[in-house]
Amino acid sequence: MTQDRLVTRSSVLTVIGALVVFLLIWRAIVFIGGYPPFILPTPEAVFGRFLKAIGDGTIWPHFITTLQEVAFGFAVGAGAGVAIGYLLARSALVERLASPYLVAAQAVPILAIAPLLALWFGPGLLGKVVICSLIVFFPVAISTMVGIRSVDPRLLELGRSLRATRRQVLTTLEVPAALPSILGGMRVGVTLAVVGAVVGEWAGADRGLGVLINLARGSLFDIPLMFAALLTLALMGIVLYLAVVLVERRLVGVR
Amino acid sequence: MIPAIHPRPSHRSLEVLVSSSRSHSRSRSRFAALGLTFAFLVSACGSGSATQAPAASAGCGGAVVPASPVASPACSFGYPATTDNASHEPSLAPTALTVGLGYIPSVQFAPFYLAQQQGWYKDAGLTVTFQNKIDPDLIALVGAGSIDVGIADGTSVIPAVSQAIPIQYIATLYGQFPNVVFAKASSGIKTAADLKGKKIGTPGRYGSGWIMLQALLGSAGLTTNDVQIVEYPDYTQRIAVAQGVVDAATGFSNNEPVQLELGGDPATVLHIDGITALPGPGLIAGKAAIETKHDAIAAFVAVTLRAMDEVKANPKAGLDAAIAAVPELASDRAGQAAVLTATIDSWTGPVQKEFGLGAIDSNGWVDSIAYMTTLGLVPNPVTVDRLVRTDLLPGGD
Repeated sequence: MTQDRLVTRSSVLTVIGALVVFLLIWRAIVFIGGYPPFILPTPEAVFGRFLKAIGDGTIWPHFITTLQEVAFGFAVGAGAGVAIGYLLARSALVERLASPYLVAAQAVPILAIAPLLALWFGPGLLGKVVICSLIVFFPVAISTMVGIRSVDPRLLELGRSLRATRRQVLTTLEVPAALPSILGGMRVGVTLAVVGAVVGEWAGADRGLGVLINLARGSLFDIPLMFAALLTLALMGIVLYLAVVLVERRLVGVR
Repeated sequence: MIPAIHPRPSHRSLEVLVSSSRSHSRSRSRFAALGLTFAFLVSACGSGSATQAPAASAGCGGAVVPASPVASPACSFGYPATTDNASHEPSLAPTALTVGLGYIPSVQFAPFYLAQQQGWYKDAGLTVTFQNKIDPDLIALVGAGSIDVGIADGTSVIPAVSQAIPIQYIATLYGQFPNVVFAKASSGIKTAADLKGKKIGTPGRYGSGWIMLQALLGSAGLTTNDVQIVEYPDYTQRIAVAQGVVDAATGFSNNEPVQLELGGDPATVLHIDGITALPGPGLIAGKAAIETKHDAIAAFVAVTLRAMDEVKANPKAGLDAAIAAVPELASDRAGQAAVLTATIDSWTGPVQKEFGLGAIDSNGWVDSIAYMTTLGLVPNPVTVDRLVRTDLLPGGD
């Protein structure tokens, strides 16, 4: 057995061990506290409700809707973040003009402006994509700016001395050097996109995991179902995060 | 008529306080444990990458429970004169009650404000603290015992009890179901059938407004697929109606249609009452709180109902109390007065007209359970006995 396989097996066991400890603590809290299901359901009740909701098709339409919002929102937000982040890194004028607004926009709670965004862009997919994009944009833009600025100036100088074009500098020097930082921002951004989708759905929607959470909590009082929806969101976030990690490993290797 | 709110014996009050204190202490430890666990989990994830003589006794065994008759203006809200000598002894310590009102402080809660400001709760041996919470949170908090008494939609109580949340509906506040469909009178909409093909604004496809809309459309042989639903999650559907963006909208009889008319547009209002029995908002209490604070909750209900009677007889007193509690309301005194008038109107349905404010229509609850079951909102069977109790009403059995 190779060293790599041993490391992988050890990592998997650690993750499983942490999950078991998490579930045991959760179960112990319910047992010791004597909490009824409407305050804190047991893990087995949540898992059972999760399987039932998947089996009877309750979760799927909500899952698909939220996944679409996250995918489009992340694509738009990350794309804009990389572009603006690059400009911020390379243009002092753009930085002076845009930075205060970017920071101010980041300081405004998205929860507070989500109803307005839903009003402006409608209760459909567009409104959710805008909210997701806004929440994804900032970490990706900042990480891109930091990544581009971290390129060794001596390499840039070398490129210029070799009469490299702007495009060549970008593709052969700046992007490869900034990629780890950009993908780090995307790791954060993709999980925030899930949060953004739920916030957008809370501001107005008839489908999505955020809607299911509200229905389960506020209309059906089915707290295990609410936890099942939260579990689905968590799994979605984990899978998307791992997807970015895989892309990162492929592009820049293990760090 | 002699009001008879029974103050609780002093030793029992102390027991309740001690019990309450222990309970709070337990709650704190539980939440501390939860907090610690949450912190641990987050870090783990990070590393992994007064009773009153009944006005009527008829109906107790069946459909309708009598509630308090209108209090005489001369009656005292202090420790009341009763025929029970023991109850003349005031409690050494008042019983603390936490009461959850609706999400936003409002003129609709005028009776609570009035009773508090006039010291009527205090005189009944109560220390009442108000909190503002949204309906679903309030139901869970009342069920968990964090809040003793709250206001909740009857249509929320049914699914909540069906999901084993230990609460019970103890007094009706709104005898008329307050959720309505409203439209400009000029729209030509006069009946539920007129809604076919129309654009209807609603905050969302959930809650009592959505249930009411389905029932109203159903009364005309329609479903929500026969109309065009436009969602206004920020509750701006009144503006949409006023601007003609939608033809009609769901709202509350004491809010949106009133505001529409204040803006100069006569309104048509379609009520569900008389079509499908749906229980309006009322007071709920947790089963544990009813066990430990039965008499205090009964006293709270009695004082509140009497305050409602007082506001009904003298709306200005209610408005002044609401403005004293929420000074921001003073900027729109006329509008608030109109809202209060509409609110007072909606307190009295046929049952309350016959038996007094607070009376519970048990038959209506039976019909509601049946209707909500057809909507798939009652996952586990419930009975009226589990949902409603009447012994906390003045003169209740």
